[in-house]
Amino acid sequence: MIRILLRVVGREYARPMRRTIALMTATAIVEGLLYALLVPVLRALFGGSPADARPWLVAFGAAVAAYAVLRYFSDLSGMRVGTTMLRGMYHRLGDHLARLPIGWYDAARVGEVSVMAGRGLLQAMGVAAHLLAPFIAALVTPLTIVAVMLAFDWRMGLAALAAAPVVALTSACTARAMAATDAERHERDHQAGARVIEYLQAQPILRAGGRTAERFGLLDDALRQVQRASRRTALAALPGAIGLTLTVQAMFTALLVLGAYLALGGGIGAAEVLAILVLAARCADPLLSLADIGGKLRGARAEIDRLDAVLRTEPLPQPAEPREPRGHGLEFDAVTFRHGDRTVLSGLSLSVPEGRRVAVVGPSGAGKSTLLQLVARFYDVDEGAVRVGGTDVRAIGTEALMSRIAVVFQDVYLFAGTIEENVRLGRPGATDAEVRAAATAARLDEVVERLPGGWHADVGEGGALLSGGERQRVSIARALLKDAPIVLLDEVTSALDPINEAAVHQGIERLMAGRTVVMVAHRLRTVQRADHIAFLEGGRIVEEGDHAELLRRGGRYADFWNASLAPATRQ
Amino acid sequence: MSAIDSAEAAVPRTPSPDESPVAGQSMARLLRPHARSFAAVVVLQVIGAIAGLLPLLAVVELGRVLLSPGPADTGRVWAEVIVGAAGLLVRLAFTAASSGIGHLVDGQVQLTFRRHLAARLGRVPIGWLSRRRTGELAKVVGQDVSAVHPFIAHAPGELVSAFVVPLVSLVYLLSIDWRLTLITLIPVALAIAHVPLLMLPARAREQEEFDAAMGRIADSVVEFVQGIAVVKAFGGGERAHRAFRTAADDFVAVFSRWVRGMSLVAAGMQLALSPPFVLLVVLIGGTALISGGGLAPADLLPFLLLGLGLTAPVAALGHGFDDLQAARRAVGRIKEVSEVPPLPEPTAPAVPHGHRVEFQGVRFGYDDDREVLRGIDLALEPGTVTALVGPSGSGKSTLVRLLPRFFDPTGGSVRIGGVDLRDLPTRELYRMVSFVFQDVRLLRASVTDNIALAVPDAAPEDVVRAARQAGVHDRILALPRGYDTVIGEEAALSGGEAQRIALARALLADTPVLVLDEATSFADPQTEHAIRRALAAPAGDRTILVIAHRLETVADADTVVLLDDGVITDQGPPAELLARDGSFAAFWRSHRSAIGDPDSAPPGGKPR
Ligand SMILES: Nc1ncnc2c1ncn2[C@@H]1O[C@H](COP(=O)(O)OP(=O)(O)O)[C@@H](O)[C@H]1O
Ligand SMILES: Nc1ncnc2c1ncn2[C@@H]1O[C@H](COP(=O)(O)OP(=O)(O)O)[C@@H](O)[C@H]1O
Ligand SMILES: [Mg+2]
Ligand SMILES: [Mg+2]
Repeated sequence: MIRILLRVVGREYARPMRRTIALMTATAIVEGLLYALLVPVLRALFGGSPADARPWLVAFGAAVAAYAVLRYFSDLSGMRVGTTMLRGMYHRLGDHLARLPIGWYDAARVGEVSVMAGRGLLQAMGVAAHLLAPFIAALVTPLTIVAVMLAFDWRMGLAALAAAPVVALTSACTARAMAATDAERHERDHQAGARVIEYLQAQPILRAGGRTAERFGLLDDALRQVQRASRRTALAALPGAIGLTLTVQAMFTALLVLGAYLALGGGIGAAEVLAILVLAARCADPLLSLADIGGKLRGARAEIDRLDAVLRTEPLPQPAEPREPRGHGLEFDAVTFRHGDRTVLSGLSLSVPEGRRVAVVGPSGAGKSTLLQLVARFYDVDEGAVRVGGTDVRAIGTEALMSRIAVVFQDVYLFAGTIEENVRLGRPGATDAEVRAAATAARLDEVVERLPGGWHADVGEGGALLSGGERQRVSIARALLKDAPIVLLDEVTSALDPINEAAVHQGIERLMAGRTVVMVAHRLRTVQRADHIAFLEGGRIVEEGDHAELLRRGGRYADFWNASLAPATRQ
Repeated sequence: MSAIDSAEAAVPRTPSPDESPVAGQSMARLLRPHARSFAAVVVLQVIGAIAGLLPLLAVVELGRVLLSPGPADTGRVWAEVIVGAAGLLVRLAFTAASSGIGHLVDGQVQLTFRRHLAARLGRVPIGWLSRRRTGELAKVVGQDVSAVHPFIAHAPGELVSAFVVPLVSLVYLLSIDWRLTLITLIPVALAIAHVPLLMLPARAREQEEFDAAMGRIADSVVEFVQGIAVVKAFGGGERAHRAFRTAADDFVAVFSRWVRGMSLVAAGMQLALSPPFVLLVVLIGGTALISGGGLAPADLLPFLLLGLGLTAPVAALGHGFDDLQAARRAVGRIKEVSEVPPLPEPTAPAVPHGHRVEFQGVRFGYDDDREVLRGIDLALEPGTVTALVGPSGSGKSTLVRLLPRFFDPTGGSVRIGGVDLRDLPTRELYRMVSFVFQDVRLLRASVTDNIALAVPDAAPEDVVRAARQAGVHDRILALPRGYDTVIGEEAALSGGEAQRIALARALLADTPVLVLDEATSFADPQTEHAIRRALAAPAGDRTILVIAHRLETVADADTVVLLDDGVITDQGPPAELLARDGSFAAFWRSHRSAIGDPDSAPPGGKPR
C-alpha cells in the first residue's frame, strides 16, 4: 500500500515516509515493552513487598515519558508528511488533468473528478497523517505484548500468539469481501455527484419542463443507489468485524481459562497470572480497533488506486524531439477523423496559407467545429495529418502549439470572476492598453460601460451572470488579447445582433490583419469578405472559392445564400 | 416510459417543504420516523458496553480468589471464568447489532436528507441559484450529508455509553476505595481540561476556513472540468488552471495551520488518555496506598482494569470530536440551504381565460443598482408570431425569463389569460408555456428522455414527429442506438444538433405559448429556413415569441418589437415599421450599412 502511495505521490516522499514509519513503529514497540514493567511492579505489590515496586515504578515512569516524546514526534512527522504530500498531490493531479486529452472528459467526469479532488485526495493523503499511526500501533503493540508474555510464561504466550494468524486471516478475508462493495459504493457516489451537478445546472429547463426533484427520476435513482450501496457495504462489513471480535475475545477467554488452570495447578504465581491478564486486556483493545482502521485504510487504498489510475491515463503523446513550425499556414492533408463509429471527417484536404482568412461554411453537424479542434490538437486524427507551418501538430510540443493559436469556442465558457480576469486569461502579462484595445475590437467596451461593475463586474460560474452576447464578446476579447498568429473562430457572433456582429467582425479584421484566420459562421454576410470560403458537408469539402465565385457556380453555397435571404412563406 | 420519470411512482413523496417555514423543524421532522431505530441503536450499544465490563470483573474476582490466603476455591474460579466468557459473547452480539442497525438507519437518513435538499434546490429562486457555485451546492448534497454520518451511526450510542459505562465503573470503584478512585480520575480530568482549548473561537474559525477552502476546491474542480477546453487553450498548455492551484494551495495552507493549532492540544489530550499514562497514575497511587497499608493489594486490580475503561469513552469522544464538529458545521450548511425561502405559491390560485400573454409596466433588475427592464408594455396575441429584436444585452432574454417565473418583476405584472403569474400554480404555468432557452442544455439521458422532458408519457410517434419538425430526426437515427442513445455518454452532439433537440423538446410539449430565445443561432441557413417554415405553418391558436437576430426571420413575424436598453422603442408589423421609418427602420439600415451589403433592399413584404 505504501509502495503504491509513494508511486502516486512521487519518490521524493519516500525518505520522510520511511522515517515516519520508523518513528511510529518505535513508539508502538516502546508502548508494548513498557507494559512488561507491569509484571515486576505487580509481583512486588501482590507479593506483599510494596517497597520493592519503587525502582520499577520509576522505570515505568521514565518509559512513559519516552513514549510520550516519541509519540508526539511521530504524530508530528505524520502530519508533516501528510500535508506536504497533499500539496504535491494537488499539483500533480491538476497538472495531469490539464494534460489529459479532451476526449477523456465526458459528461460523467465532473462527478468523478470532483469527488476525487475533494474528499478523495484528502482521504488518500490522510493515510500518513491519521491512519498510519493507529494502524501500526494496533499491530505492533499487541505483537510486542505477546513477545513480553512469551518471555514471562511460554504457555500463555503461545496461547496469545495462536490468535495472530487468525486475526491476519480474518482481516485478509474481510478485505477481499469488501473490495467489490467498496468499489460499487464509490461508483454510486460519483454517479450521484455528477447527477446532482447536472440537476443544479439544468434547473431552468427542468423547471420549465415541470420537473421537480421528485419527478426527476435520474437524480432520485442515483441517490437511492447510493443508499443501497451503503447498506450493502455496512452489511458486508459486519462478518469481518464480528469475526475479528470473536477471535480476540476467544483469545482473551483462552488466556482466562489457561491462567485459571495454571494458577490452580500452582504452575505459575498468582501475581504473574494476573499481570498477564492485565497485559491481555491491553492487547485486546488495539486489536479490536483494527476492524475500524482496516475499513478506513481500505477506503484510502481504493482512493489511491483511483488516483493512480487517473495519473496513469496517458496524456496526449508528446513528441520526443519537438519541432518548431516554420510559418503559420495551416494544412489539412487527407484528414480522416472518427468519434467512435461515426466518421466525422473523411479524407478532407484544405490549406490555409499564412495570413489568409478562410471561412468554413456548412450544415450543422458537418464537422466544422471538429476541424478547428483538430488544429488545436484536442483530438488526434485517425488518418492523414494536420500541419501548422508545414509541421505535423503531433510533432510540435503542446505548449509551443498552444502559444501560436487563439481560439474562440462555439460554446463559451467563462470562469467565475471579473470580466477583466477573464479577458486577461488570454495573456496574463498584457498591458492595460492592450486589454482595452482587445475589448474595443470585440465591442466589449460597450458592455463594460453599461454594467454597473464595469471591468470588475462578476461574470458568474461559466459566465451565467452575463447575457449570451456579452459572454461571447468576453471570449472574443480573451482570444484577441492572446495575440497569436493563428486565430480560430467558431460561430463567435451567433448571439450578437447584426450591428454588434458587424462591428465585432470589423474589429477582428482590423486587429487580426496579417494573421491566419479560420472562421466558422452561418450568417453568410459575415463570411462574404473572407479570402476563401470552403463548404463542408458530410465530412468533406464540396466547394471552394470566394463568395462571388461560389454564387456564380450555383451549388450548395448558393443554395445556402438564397435560403438565408428568403422569408418563410406563411399560408 | 422514460427513465427520468420511472422513480415517480416508487418514491414516497417527501412532504412538501413548503409546509414548514422553519427548516430546523423540518429537519427534526425528517428524523422523526427513525426515532425507534435510534433508540434501538442506543439501548443495544449500552447493554453491549456494560456487558463488556463483565470479563474485566471476572479477572478482578479471579484475583481476589487467587490472592486470598489459603487454597483457592476451584468452583468459584471456574464460575468467574464462565461469567467473563458470557459477558464477552453478549457484548459481541449487542454491539454488532447496534452498529448494523446504526449504519442502515444512517443510509436511510442520508437518503431522506438528500431528497429533501434536492426538492428544496428545485424550488429556490433561480436568481439565488445563479449566484451560488455548483460545486459548493453539490458538496452540501453529497459530502455534507455524509458528514452527518457520525451524528447518526455512532454518536448517540457512543455518547450514551460514554456516560453510562464510566458511571457504572465509577460506582463500583468507589465502593472499593474512594481515594484511589479519585486518583484514577486524574487523567480524565486532565483530558477534559483540554476540551475548552479545542473549542476556542480561533479553533472554530480555523475549522470554518477549512470548510470554506474545501468548498473552493469543489468549485474550482467543477470549473476545471467543464472549462477544460479553455484551460487547455489559455491555461498555458501544461499547467493546471490557476484557480484550481490557488484553491488547492489555500486549502493546504489552512489545513496545516489547523493541524498545527490542534496538534499540541490534541497531543496533550491523547497522552492524558493513553493507557500507559493512566496505568502510571494508578500504579503510583496504588503503591502509595498499599505501602501505607490503606489498600488491600487485590483491590488494586479493578483499578488497573476498569480505570482504563473510565477514560476509553472519553477518548472515543475526543477522537470523534473533530468528526462531530465537522458534522455540526455540515448540518449548518444543510440548514442554510433548506432555509432559503422558495418562490411563494399562490394561496388562492386563479384560473386563466385563454392564453393571451401580457406584460404590464414590467420593471426588473437583477441587482438593485441597475434596472434591466424599465417599464415594458407588451401583449402577445394568440395565433400570432411576435419577434423580439434588439442589441445584445438589451434585456430580451431577461424578459423571457419572467414568463417561467425564474424571477418575479419588481414592478408591474406579467399575465397569462388575464391572471398574474404569481396567482397561477406553477404546474398550471408550465402546462401553458414552453421554452427553448438561449443556453441549450441536454441531460445525460437518452434522446427520447431529453425530448420528452416535459411530457414524460409522450408516445414514441409524437417524439419522432417533434424531432422531424425540428429537423433532427435523421441525425438521431444515425446515432449508435438511435433514440435510445444516451447523450453525453454514448455520443455527443454538435451545437446546432443540440439546439434542435431542445427545439423538439419545446415542440413536443405542444403548449399554447411557445418562446424561442435564439433557438436557431447555430443552425445553418437551410435548416433555419426549414424550421421557420415548420413554425410558421400550423400556427393555429398558438402564441409564439421569437428572439432572433437574422432580420429575414424577423420579417416573417406578425409583430416586431424592438427592445433597446430595457425599453420598447418600436413595435408593429415589420413592413409598417419600415415604412414608418422609426427606430426599427434605423436599426435595419444601420445593419445593412454596417455589413456593407450592396443588396440593401429590405426583404419580406417589400418588392426588391
Ligand atoms: N464527442 C463526440 N462524440 C461523438 N460524436 C461527436 C462528438 N462531438 C461531435 N460529434 C459529432 O460529430 C459531428 C460533427 O460535429 P461538429 O464538428 O461539432 O459539427 P459542426 O459542423 O456543427 O460544428 C456531429 O455529427 C456530432 O454529432
Ligand atoms: N443572472 C443575471 N444576473 C445579473 N445580471 C444579468 C443576469 N443575466 C443577465 N444579466 C444582465 O442583464 C442584461 C440583459 O441581459 P439579457 O436579457 O440576457 O440580454 P439579451 O437582450 O442579450 O438577451 C445584461 O446586461 C446582462 O449582463
Ligand atoms: Mg460547431
Ligand atoms: Mg439573450
